[in-house]
Amino acid sequence: AAEPWPENAALYQQLKEEQILLSDNASSLAVQAFLQMCNLPIRVVCRANAEYMSPSGKVPFIHVGNQVVSELGPIVQFVKAKGHSLSDGLDEVQKAEMKAYMELVNNMLLTAELYLQWCDDVTVEEITHPRYGSPYPWPLNRILSYQKQWEVRRKMKAIGWAGKTLAQVLEDVDQCCQALSQRLGTQPYFFNKQPTELDALVFGHLFTILTTQLTTDELSEKVKNYSNLTAFCRRIEQQYFEGHDKDSSATVTAQSAKRSLLR
Amino acid sequence: PQSLLQAYAKFSGAPLTVNTINSSWRAPKGDVPVLISKDIVISQPARILNFLRKQKYNADYELSAKQGADTLAYIALLEEILLPALLHTFWVEAENYCSVTKPWFASRIPFPLSLYLPGKMSREALNRILLTRGGPPLYSLTEVEAQIYRDAKECLNLLSKRLGTSQFFFGDTPTTLDAFVFGFLAPIYKVCFPRVQLQEHLKQLPNLCRFCDDVLTCYFRLTVSGHSPAGQDTADANLQKLTQLVNKESNLIEKMDDNLRKSPQHPPRKLTTLKLAAGGEESSPLNRLSP
Repeated sequence: AAEPWPENAALYQQLKEEQILLSDNASSLAVQAFLQMCNLPIRVVCRANAEYMSPSGKVPFIHVGNQVVSELGPIVQFVKAKGHSLSDGLDEVQKAEMKAYMELVNNMLLTAELYLQWCDDVTVEEITHPRYGSPYPWPLNRILSYQKQWEVRRKMKAIGWAGKTLAQVLEDVDQCCQALSQRLGTQPYFFNKQPTELDALVFGHLFTILTTQLTTDELSEKVKNYSNLTAFCRRIEQQYFEGHDKDSSATVTAQSAKRSLLR
Repeated sequence: PQSLLQAYAKFSGAPLTVNTINSSWRAPKGDVPVLISKDIVISQPARILNFLRKQKYNADYELSAKQGADTLAYIALLEEILLPALLHTFWVEAENYCSVTKPWFASRIPFPLSLYLPGKMSREALNRILLTRGGPPLYSLTEVEAQIYRDAKECLNLLSKRLGTSQFFFGDTPTTLDAFVFGFLAPIYKVCFPRVQLQEHLKQLPNLCRFCDDVLTCYFRLTVSGHSPAGQDTADANLQKLTQLVNKESNLIEKMDDNLRKSPQHPPRKLTTLKLAAGGEESSPLNRLSP
């Protein structure tokens, strides 16, 4: 039932240099890494209204043939339906573990990134508001970013993160990194020899955290504490993104024009 | 969350007295469960667990680093996927809510509050479900419900596969993860709801049912008085541990018999200064549950 993967498959995200935020960049990079690992070519297209084009309201989304799929979970399933899968070699218990770790990353890392971007006042003022609405004229840019902020804060309140201080959030990130580091150990990938979607997801988030400049460096410091995680990111970057210098999808920085910190 | 904490306390041997409070307002910040130790008040399950660990009641003492990491991951899985379905079954599903949850709750808290509090918790549960799982392309509540139950059933399957044939998730002794899983599964397994799709699914996974039954019989048989067996040795071989547990439980039974014979009313015993305040809904299901 598999149609071949078309040549002009495209991945849509927000504008790389001016608009995209930490969490969206992480998700987008995770999908790109996953597709690279499956050897499926994809073009990255940057559009200011990517969020609105997406069927679920979240970036990134891919446009393949005449189908549009967004977010890593559904994309993995879509790719599997086309006949490509990274986790076929895993047994049932390992698949359960992989799902659990992916939820851990989503639960802790992604939520922490969202918290930092939208609930920490300093970051919101200096980075998020200017970037989020940058393609639009005033007052639309302010309105859109306030609207998004309100939405994210509502969600944080519902899951109980609104009451957390930044220190507590950073501690959670640390715990999550510790768990990932312990699980990775000295292996090249999380499930030994072959990369899986978990590796793509972890790479997306950790790499983005490491290479994005924010108002403070505390978040990236937390990740840097674990040397096997930084080595893991470097390894995946070298293996899957080196050949695409022009694309520079692996060298996105949010604030300045500085190149990747891992170089 | 209450049964999760009681299970953890039992596993790690922390002496805990369970006080039922009949008004959630009395718990600081209106949040249950609450741990009150001397003067420190801690109110979220994860923080309570950390506190217990620091006090050296640690059920994870023998886990390797990787197993500790696995624990964290599985807990995240439970919270992301099983919790919305649980919330829905208890608080949002109209029949369940009206016929079971609300009367339970209302019977345990004083009059004016019983009108307001269940409704508030129901709204909060619905809010949480919609905000975390309800985005497009799922536009109606029924679609969201279908999706969360699908995910929850898959999650139960995953847990069953992970448990396999072993007695607990990491071998023969229970750990934090077992406490968490028990805390989530026990309500689904035991509470009699009119709408029970999750319970039926759970019953098709015999090893998870066996797990719940084991924990209930081993650790909760004596909940009637609200006391838990005293400290547990963590350094010995499994067989010794099991025999010790059995011995301690029989000692406790003897002590209880003595107590009952000596005084007509059960005297309130403070084992240590730790007190766990649990919401009213907790002890009633467990009372109904203990065989």
